[in-house]
Amino acid sequence: MTRDYFEFLELPRNLDIDPKDLEQRFYAFSRKHHPDVHARKSAEDRAQAEEAAAILNDAYRTLRDPIKRAQYLLKLEGFDIGEQGTKDVPPELLEEVFELNEAIEESGKGEALEPFRVRFAGMQGEIDTELQHKFAEWDRARDRAILAAIRGLLNRRKYITNLIAQTNVPD
Amino acid sequence: MAYSDKVLDHYNNPRNVGSLDKNADNVGTGMVGAPECGDVMKLQIKVDDASGIIEDAKFKTFGCGSAIASSSLATEWLKGKTVDQALAIKNTDIVNELSLPPVKIHCSVLAEDAIKAAISDYRAKQSKKAPAEQTVA
Repeated sequence: MTRDYFEFLELPRNLDIDPKDLEQRFYAFSRKHHPDVHARKSAEDRAQAEEAAAILNDAYRTLRDPIKRAQYLLKLEGFDIGEQGTKDVPPELLEEVFELNEAIEESGKGEALEPFRVRFAGMQGEIDTELQHKFAEWDRARDRAILAAIRGLLNRRKYITNLIAQTNVPD
Repeated sequence: MAYSDKVLDHYNNPRNVGSLDKNADNVGTGMVGAPECGDVMKLQIKVDDASGIIEDAKFKTFGCGSAIASSSLATEWLKGKTVDQALAIKNTDIVNELSLPPVKIHCSVLAEDAIKAAISDYRAKQSKKAPAEQTVA
């Protein structure tokens, strides 16, 4: 199976996807590949339909989530987003995350972390808004520089998510 | 997944935690990170100008036990080495010493990157210093 999830759902490689449209496609393709529809067909047909249904589920689960969708597209477009990809994290981001970690460490636990939770949630909201803009930009311009910017935002978001998790550690 | 005894030892008693004056000419600072796991690692070396030997090394790592152990071990190894010898430290040496499992190899890579970043920061400072000395001579 060489078709990617976008091709599978007959979608262009867009990042700004209408969730309603995606859902409708998912249901339409689900009917098409449903085992009942293929019950009277050959074993080969049934196996193919089964495989298609499995891919369809993965495709829907991946593309429905904006973050997973962006990560998936970056991978398709040849960006390395594995754990080893440490080299091109901008130094400012590392400094920032390091300082935030230090601040959390010094502030103590429980209630003292509340201001951080609020602040990090705000930062995550800003990142998500910016991602939304970049998604639309990519859909218009198809420029790899936009994808690089998106990757940077995803890295930053991942760090913030991690910091949020740390503020939720029980006393 | 269980940590090896050596990882636990470094995790519970990290060596050389702290920081050095990052503005000093003979201090090199390396800051690296792996967004996927949320790790950030700062590693600093202080080089003796006359001998070129690393006289002190400090680190501070926010991350998993393996990342902390890798950088803690790195600072132990760095002390007493020349800068060139320090560059020869490979992540695989750290993997072997700490018996890191495959899923934690990236932590050792991070530590090697941190060493290299600290050294290149130190060298950049030194080469900036050099032209000034030449004009004096």
